[in-house]
Amino acid sequence: MEQVWILPAIPFATFLVLGLFNRFIPRRGDGLAVLGMAAVVVLVGVVLADFQNFFVDGIFTPGGEHAYAEEWVDIGQGFFLIEFSTYVDSVTMVMLPVVSFVALMVLVYSIGYMKGEQRYGWYFAALSLFVSAMLLLVISGNLLQLYLAWEGVGLASYLLIGFYWERQAAAEAAKKAFITTRIGDVGLLIGIILLWRVTGSFDIQEIIHAAQEGVFDQTYLTVAMIFLFAGAAGKSAQFPFHVWLPDAMEGPTPVSALIHAATMVVAGVYLVARMLPVYDEVLIARDVVLYTGLLTALMAATMGLVATDIKRVLAFSTVSQLGFMFVALGVGALTAAMFHLFTHAFFKSLLFLGSGSVIHATDEQEVQELGGLRKKMPVTTITFTIGSLALAGLPFLAGFWSKDEILHDLQKHGPMWAYVVLAATAALTAIYTTRVVLLTFFGKPKNQQAYDRAHESPPIMTVPLMILAALAIVAGFVTYTGVGEALGFVGGIGEVVYLPAEGAHRFELDWAFAAGASATAVAGVVIGVAYWWGDAKRAAAARNWAPELHQLFARRYYIDELYQAVINNVVMGASRVVAWFDKKVVNETGVDGATQFIGFLGYRLKFLQTGRIPNYALGMALGVAALAVVAIGTT
Amino acid sequence: MIERLPLPAQFDRLIMVGGTAAVLVMAPILVVLLALLIGDEISAAELVFWLAFTVIVAGALGTVLLSNIVHAALALIATLLGVAAIYLLLATEFIALVQILVYGGGVVILIIFGLMLTNAQADPVVTDGSQKPFAAIVGVLLGGIFIAAAIDAEWGAEAATVVPFRDFGARLFKDFIVPVIIVGVLLDIALSGGIVNARAPRDDDASETEEGAAS
Amino acid sequence: MIPLENFLILSAILFATGLYGVLARRSAILILMSVELMLAAVSINFIAFASYLDGDAFSGLIFALFVITVAAAEVGLALGIVLRLFRERQTAYVDSADSMKW
Repeated sequence: MEQVWILPAIPFATFLVLGLFNRFIPRRGDGLAVLGMAAVVVLVGVVLADFQNFFVDGIFTPGGEHAYAEEWVDIGQGFFLIEFSTYVDSVTMVMLPVVSFVALMVLVYSIGYMKGEQRYGWYFAALSLFVSAMLLLVISGNLLQLYLAWEGVGLASYLLIGFYWERQAAAEAAKKAFITTRIGDVGLLIGIILLWRVTGSFDIQEIIHAAQEGVFDQTYLTVAMIFLFAGAAGKSAQFPFHVWLPDAMEGPTPVSALIHAATMVVAGVYLVARMLPVYDEVLIARDVVLYTGLLTALMAATMGLVATDIKRVLAFSTVSQLGFMFVALGVGALTAAMFHLFTHAFFKSLLFLGSGSVIHATDEQEVQELGGLRKKMPVTTITFTIGSLALAGLPFLAGFWSKDEILHDLQKHGPMWAYVVLAATAALTAIYTTRVVLLTFFGKPKNQQAYDRAHESPPIMTVPLMILAALAIVAGFVTYTGVGEALGFVGGIGEVVYLPAEGAHRFELDWAFAAGASATAVAGVVIGVAYWWGDAKRAAAARNWAPELHQLFARRYYIDELYQAVINNVVMGASRVVAWFDKKVVNETGVDGATQFIGFLGYRLKFLQTGRIPNYALGMALGVAALAVVAIGTT
Repeated sequence: MIERLPLPAQFDRLIMVGGTAAVLVMAPILVVLLALLIGDEISAAELVFWLAFTVIVAGALGTVLLSNIVHAALALIATLLGVAAIYLLLATEFIALVQILVYGGGVVILIIFGLMLTNAQADPVVTDGSQKPFAAIVGVLLGGIFIAAAIDAEWGAEAATVVPFRDFGARLFKDFIVPVIIVGVLLDIALSGGIVNARAPRDDDASETEEGAAS
Repeated sequence: MIPLENFLILSAILFATGLYGVLARRSAILILMSVELMLAAVSINFIAFASYLDGDAFSGLIFALFVITVAAAEVGLALGIVLRLFRERQTAYVDSADSMKW
């Protein structure tokens, strides 16, 4: 457990080797990357086994070894302490398997997907870098290290979104992603510094204890936590930072599967989950989390309803589901949020990889050009459908359990209207996923060339799909105590992952509630089928009935235009003023003016050098006379 | 080698006339002084002093104001001889003699040689910003300061003491022998330097200066 | 007897006149002559002080002697320089040596 830092070290080593030497390794090192990842998965299992030892009588009692710290820079005897520290607890234990396993699946899949691409070796190097940074992030014990890993993840995301940088759109998207998350990151840094100012430490556990002891002033802490959440919102694409995720689909599809579905975007969720005990102290900040998540979930669901690119739909869906997770965190339900994160990782990456399979086969991303692919690509169709039904929340699939848990907790702890909105969003989720499935795989093919090109993907791509589909079905059952015990845990997920304040709780199925949730999901599917089956006549009619609404959703609420206008006017305007100041005042007056003045002085004074001796003699005599006057004056 | 000296400039003529007038004025002064002497108002020493004073000041003004150079040189001689008279008043006959010999007989002759060798002409009328006003200001300023200092200070001195010649010589060659030797060396150096500077230009001299001008 | 201030005033006037001459005259030799005036004034000063104030150890006299000697040497050298100037510029006016100007 102490050596848990090996986990990020392995992919980082892979990154270095592949980044520098991929030309010289056979097959450009993809095997090396997969091998490294597999090693990490195995090691995660080891850590997991070790983790079980910390459960005494069913209660998680952390011993000394789960936290490890090593000092790096110490300024002022602990005034400013940078250390490398790790902290492993149940939240970490949810993230580690998710990250490593999904990464392994994606890496194997990429071998097939990225075959023949130039910069093949660099792709694997960048992915390894990303995994390394993400692992570092989840095991971080102090906020500074977390911030470092945060930025590292952002960097890897930038590199990978802009993988096809010859395409202008891809370069722009990478820039947009980085800049948007950067703005959030500034908030995160401010939050970290604010927290440090009061407690003098970056260590997360220390900060939590300090907050619980009431060291902070209430307003101060609220502000700090809101800033922290700004960083989380940036990374997790919540409103108003959600604009980068849809555009990030310019990157290769496996990248989207790994980074923008399962791992990086949940870094924000992870951060808030980690700091949840502190958020519990300042309920205003927690409410901010709740409502932001709610708003984002609804907005993204509406935008996903009208998007025409498969990957974009999935991107909006991711944003929406992240909103769900934040809603859960917003009511203090750590278990529900982490559970949803767990299940969502599997079925969302499954969906992305499935769409990648479609794209690889048909070279088309637009749903308008696809259709009727189920005959030609059966495995993909089946796995994709399983994934989308899980997303919709159909009973007994993985998504059902976690979403149900969230709705349940929201109904118990949150305002009623929020529950209604979230339930409606869940219904919308079901509708748009059904739409995508129908338009892509069912019905008649709309573009005959695309249809002709379609073929089932090679096993190296379909095997991960099948594994993930299996997980999408069964992953939800870990909520049951029996299943948990069978796996070697103390109990179901509710008994492993919980807030100390909450206490462990067994999972009890509230049949009435579950029935209601299932009904919503099924209703959503039915509506989707009704509108989009066949020729989708009803959908077209609906579109024509409210074209402005459709336009609003399709143009993503015009937020992109708003941001651009702000940048053009405010930022550029301000920079124009500053540039004018720099040019006119500093440069022309200050710098040039000084030199010109000296030159002018020189030009005028040079006439003193007449070269004539009488003039110089006069000068000397004047000097002597002055000295004499002074001497007389002073005596 | 020496051309005809130019005729005195207009200004010079004025000075000459003025000088003559001064002499004419001086005659009455002399008479006055004598009268005062005889009338026991001033002593003989004072008479000599005032005479010398007049000569010195007139000569000095002539040196610096006369435009004809030779006339200026002559005025210089007058000044220096007046200074010798002052030295006599101060009962330092040796220095007075040295003054006459060296200055009058050496320095001024040297200056006149220089005049001839450099084809000296009248001091030109300067049109491009003459320094004369400023020079006058500075001179008056400095002189005024000196005079003020001299008058203000309390000297407490009564009379001039006569210095026996023998003691002077003994002092000079006993206590100040080193400076005397050094001055001798200095004169040597000055002599050599003067020769080097003033010798007639030869062919390699011209090439030297041309090289010097080119580099 | 003659008070000391008389001599000092005389020397002051002589010195001032010499200074004016140095600054106002254009010909090198005239400047030289004005310098002689200044030196003479200084000598008067020295000898007057030595005579009135320092009767036993008459250092001022000796100094004045040296002044005279050095003045003579200096005149010799200076005239040599003036001759050189004359050879270069064909004129003895000091204004002509003004090539090191702006």
